[in-house]
Amino acid sequence: MARRDYAQDRESIKTFLSEFCKCDDDGKKEFVYGSQLVKLAHREQVLITIDLDDLAEFNESLAEAVMDNCRRYAAIFSDVIAELLPSYKQQEVHAKDALDVYIEHRLMMDARTRNPMEQRDERNSFPSELMKRFEVGFKPQSTEKAHSIREVKAQHIGKLVTVRGIVTRCTEVKPMMVVATYTCDRCGSETYQPVNSLSFTPVHDCPSDDCRVNKAGGRLYLQTRGSKFIKFQELKMQEHSDQVPVGHIPRSMTVLCRGEVTRMAQPGDHIVVSGVFLPLVRSGFQQMLQGLLSETFLQAHRIICINKNDEISDKDAELTPDELEELAQDDFYERLATSLAPEIYGHLDVKKALLLLLVGGVDKRPDGMKIRGNINICLMGDPGVAKSQLLGYISRLAIRSQYTTGRGSSGVGLTAAVMKDPLTGEMTLEGGALVLADQGVCCIDEFDKMADTDRTAIHEVMEQQTISIAKAGIMTTLNARVSILAAANPAFGRYNPRRTVEQNIQLPAALLSRFDLLWLIQDKPDRDNDLRLAKHITYVHSHSKQPPTRVKALDMNLMRRYINLCKRKNPTIPDELTDYIVGAYVELRREARNQKDMTFTSARNLLGILRLSTALARLRLSDRVEKDDVAEALRLLEMSKDSLNQIHEHQKGHVPNTSDRIFAIVRELAGSGKAVKIADIMDRCTTKGFKPDQVDKCIDDYEELNVWQVNMGRTKITFM
Amino acid sequence: MPCAMELPNTPDELAMQHKDSTVLKELLKDSTRWHSIPLLNYTPLHKLKDRTLVRFRGMIQDMMDPEIYLERYEVKAPDGSKRLHDGKYLDCLKLAAGEEIDYNAEGNVHGERRTLFLVSVPGLNDWSRQHEQQCGPQIEVCQSAGSGKKRTLDAQEEAMEVDEAGETSLKRQCVDEIKTGEAQVAGSGSSVLGSEYLINSPLPSRPSMACMVKVYEDFDSYQLNTLVDFVGFLSVDPSLDAASLNMEEYDSLSELQAAHPSPFLIPRLHAFGFQTLAHANPLLDSTLRQPAAENSDEANPSQLAVHKDLRILLKLCLFDDDLAAEYLLCHLISTVYSRTQMESIGKFALNLCNLPKECLQHYTTKLYQVLELLLPASHYLPMTLETMNTSAFAPKKDYETNKLVSGLLQLAPHTHLVLDETCMQQGKLEANGVHAVQHLAHLINNQELKCDFQYYQIDYQANIPVLVLSEGRSMLPSDFVVPINADAKAVELLDESLKAAHHYLQPARLQQFRKFLTTARLSQFSVSEEHTEMIQQEFVDMRKANVKSNADDLHGLLVLSRLLGIARGKQALDKETWQLAIEFEAKRRQRLQSLPKSSATQMRN
Repeated sequence: MARRDYAQDRESIKTFLSEFCKCDDDGKKEFVYGSQLVKLAHREQVLITIDLDDLAEFNESLAEAVMDNCRRYAAIFSDVIAELLPSYKQQEVHAKDALDVYIEHRLMMDARTRNPMEQRDERNSFPSELMKRFEVGFKPQSTEKAHSIREVKAQHIGKLVTVRGIVTRCTEVKPMMVVATYTCDRCGSETYQPVNSLSFTPVHDCPSDDCRVNKAGGRLYLQTRGSKFIKFQELKMQEHSDQVPVGHIPRSMTVLCRGEVTRMAQPGDHIVVSGVFLPLVRSGFQQMLQGLLSETFLQAHRIICINKNDEISDKDAELTPDELEELAQDDFYERLATSLAPEIYGHLDVKKALLLLLVGGVDKRPDGMKIRGNINICLMGDPGVAKSQLLGYISRLAIRSQYTTGRGSSGVGLTAAVMKDPLTGEMTLEGGALVLADQGVCCIDEFDKMADTDRTAIHEVMEQQTISIAKAGIMTTLNARVSILAAANPAFGRYNPRRTVEQNIQLPAALLSRFDLLWLIQDKPDRDNDLRLAKHITYVHSHSKQPPTRVKALDMNLMRRYINLCKRKNPTIPDELTDYIVGAYVELRREARNQKDMTFTSARNLLGILRLSTALARLRLSDRVEKDDVAEALRLLEMSKDSLNQIHEHQKGHVPNTSDRIFAIVRELAGSGKAVKIADIMDRCTTKGFKPDQVDKCIDDYEELNVWQVNMGRTKITFM
Repeated sequence: MPCAMELPNTPDELAMQHKDSTVLKELLKDSTRWHSIPLLNYTPLHKLKDRTLVRFRGMIQDMMDPEIYLERYEVKAPDGSKRLHDGKYLDCLKLAAGEEIDYNAEGNVHGERRTLFLVSVPGLNDWSRQHEQQCGPQIEVCQSAGSGKKRTLDAQEEAMEVDEAGETSLKRQCVDEIKTGEAQVAGSGSSVLGSEYLINSPLPSRPSMACMVKVYEDFDSYQLNTLVDFVGFLSVDPSLDAASLNMEEYDSLSELQAAHPSPFLIPRLHAFGFQTLAHANPLLDSTLRQPAAENSDEANPSQLAVHKDLRILLKLCLFDDDLAAEYLLCHLISTVYSRTQMESIGKFALNLCNLPKECLQHYTTKLYQVLELLLPASHYLPMTLETMNTSAFAPKKDYETNKLVSGLLQLAPHTHLVLDETCMQQGKLEANGVHAVQHLAHLINNQELKCDFQYYQIDYQANIPVLVLSEGRSMLPSDFVVPINADAKAVELLDESLKAAHHYLQPARLQQFRKFLTTARLSQFSVSEEHTEMIQQEFVDMRKANVKSNADDLHGLLVLSRLLGIARGKQALDKETWQLAIEFEAKRRQRLQSLPKSSATQMRN
């Protein structure tokens, strides 16, 4: 590789900084860096971030060179800016702190006392670090992918890399000396010592001409006020669990933050760091391992907290065109659903519902009211119908999830606890399962066996999406924006169709109504299904892998990324659909009233429909909810109700159908008379919740049976 | 060159002779060469020299962050001359007095290496330990009289080479410094971490030996909790101990000390060859030199005969209960042979319940004594409230020291875990206990170990057969619950029959049993197309007859028939074995039905 001509680069950097501009919407030129330089000169801004996208636009090879040899170019940029700054000063700057005063003072003294011709001793001159009151940072090009820690290797040393991970530890922010200033007790001259590493050896003997020539042996004393300090913090970050290959331990990395990039993250934060990967020379290590081994660290230029800022798109998570194409096939909804727990056969609607739970609906906040977007689902069913497997799969697939069993968790596990720090005696709040899964999914197996106290906490979580703790005099509310996926076993071993849902699950109706969808998974012997299951199991046992299915199951990772992508959409419901939704809801209520329904239909169902349909629109990556989405949401709701109700029909044998019931109404209306006006029938029937077409059908049916006759104008019926 | 076909004895020799690593790999394939290398596990450190070839067998307990080191570096002598040195397989630089490294030299090459934290196989039983020890050549090597000739020659060569390079006073010629080093270990009071914490044994009651292995290639072929046999150069330079340094100014002192413990406590090994071990049974290990006498002594009896003998033995120990003996035998040869995303197939967690109350007290430990003799590695865990509430079960990451602190359940594949639930008393299970039960249940159900990384948990695949001994049904889940049908007479005669069992285990027979169990575990088994269809049909009929039977039952039957077949020396499923499995399951169900029912069991069945 040819050596770069740094002098030439210097010039181009100078041009870049002063001349680079972007056109804004009005066609006006905006000098991005020029305006920042003005602010720097006026000490209104400390950090100047060079966007490498801009630099690449200006000079591509220069941008590459910066990526490769970042530290050097950071220094060049900083020198160039220092050079340019005086010309950007538009007004007199007021001193901000002691160091400003100090620098100003020194400069004045210098100008006054110094003989312009005299060459001063280099060590006594002001080091440039002391004079610079700004910092330079680089923002990597937007095409740059975030690496996992394990991808950063020895060849990355000196380069600008972007790394994703979770903060596990961070030190306090401490001052770090950048320039040590000393004064001599004999000659009074000042000496400066730039410090580049974590530790330094103080200078003791005065190097000035006076002392050296006279052998006065002047001692140097450190001037705290005249020295320059910078904020300094050390972070430890670790890989995300999804970046760890099977059977390996997550890696960690040290990140050193200086100046303005300190205090950006706390333990537990998910961050993306761009910085220079460097070997760290520590004096102790050198002695110990004789320099054979060097620690490495990342000198941070930019830290972004992902959990605070969801907008930041993670390049790693972006789907490739190939993958998008794979997903964009017609049946992608079915495919995604079947890819959930592919080893569990059937239950397609349940899987679809679970898929929507993962994607989630849109949160709404009209005037301080908060309507959750998270979808809660409760699966019920006989033991051994793979409920737990479904739960386990979902908790694995969801990016943030908690899996817990209602029985196995103590109060501490499921709610938040107040803990006393043994060292400091401080009381701290320690979140339990629900809080930790904030913005995630909380899977609760054996929901029915959960202690009542925990269940009450869940009431609040499910509707308000917060959790309140009042213990040891601390009263606080924590966010718990979770979707709840619960699984419950029937109270009597098997689901008893003759009883209501509450009786079967022994959960209060108030809690059950908070679930958007209740699903009863039943286990009925069925030859085809059983054979298919047997085939599947024998295949797995003898071939040690999943049998090939018609539709290839999607990779878990791909699903995760797709779901993530979906979550970024915020679809809205267009006005023209509101009537449709309202109509559908009214219909639901009516049906619920008329039928001997074992479930409930309440206003919560309306919200449920909205949530499901927005989730469906998200799944299509659309910004608008379509009529089909609502229809599908209704269908799912219907199916979930059916799963609870269907058994009744089997058991009770003859259930009066709509026509029969309408007939009963007509009979009643007719009383002792023989003829009834159709308009009257319509009136009565609609108040009882029947639709006009159902009434028409009933009239036709019974006419065919010769029960009554309809007159020509279709205004009146007469019993035979 | 006469030495070309020999393994290098020191890193320097390696650098000189074997530039080509494939030649080295070829050399290592020869098992006699492999055998001739002393085992660090069984050799006292003071008998080994620094920077010589050794082996270490153990389980990968933790993996540390990669290290960047100088693979080649330039040294500047005071007179201005420059030399290039190799840094591979070394911890310390070789510098003569006055020499300095040129960190910015063009010729410097940076390399990457990883440190694996190995512990000797946790729960390795005494007999396998003894056998391994006998297999090694370590004793002769160390007493320099044995292989003295070659050794001294090497030493001379080394000395000569040193002379040539003009390094008469090696700054760190560690070979003879071991004594001073040992003194240092005794005197290193500045260490903040205890040696127990540093060694990090999964089973604190049975401490392991630890070794830090530095690997230079194939980084991705190592997995946590697997068994590996490493060959490489020992490094016990006392300067590796962070506690010996005065580094109080560091914030992360404990982390530094955890990463650089005293080499006399935890030796380092710079590996250039490795073999993964499929099992821990030293009798069948090709990486060990088997004593020749034992193999040729007698003709190996047929698999079937051994199986019969073994069943007799287990029957003796299980109150003359044939069915329980069959199930226990299946359990002893079970292994997870296949994994899908959600299921681990082949696991055979067994719960032996309904143990007669009369002999509860000593029976469990006595039964374990017999199992201990049969299995290469196993652990007996009395499930008392105290152990549940206080012991660490799953590994947990300690961010203070950046170590994965081990737990009871971090065991190598095929280490049998025997849980004694008869020790459980009534009381309060605290948070730790609740978690312990959860971890155990997760292990039994999924054969996965959840490691706690505080911010998230990661599942690691495990293959630990779990046997639960309990009075009633166990509180833990299991794949097969077998209530023991104790013969009243057999209960009375328990002591005698156990004695008889021990007597029955003559050395030769014992060896057969041990070999049988491991070979059976590793053998392959297939199911023909025809039988698959039969099984499928049978399942459909089963469902028709009984709605309650579900997929788990079919899984169970398939696993059971496989193991019954394997135990009888078969390679494929036949009708007879399948019928046997069905019959056993039916019998077992019947026994379960007759068990006194609590409300909880009613729910489940």
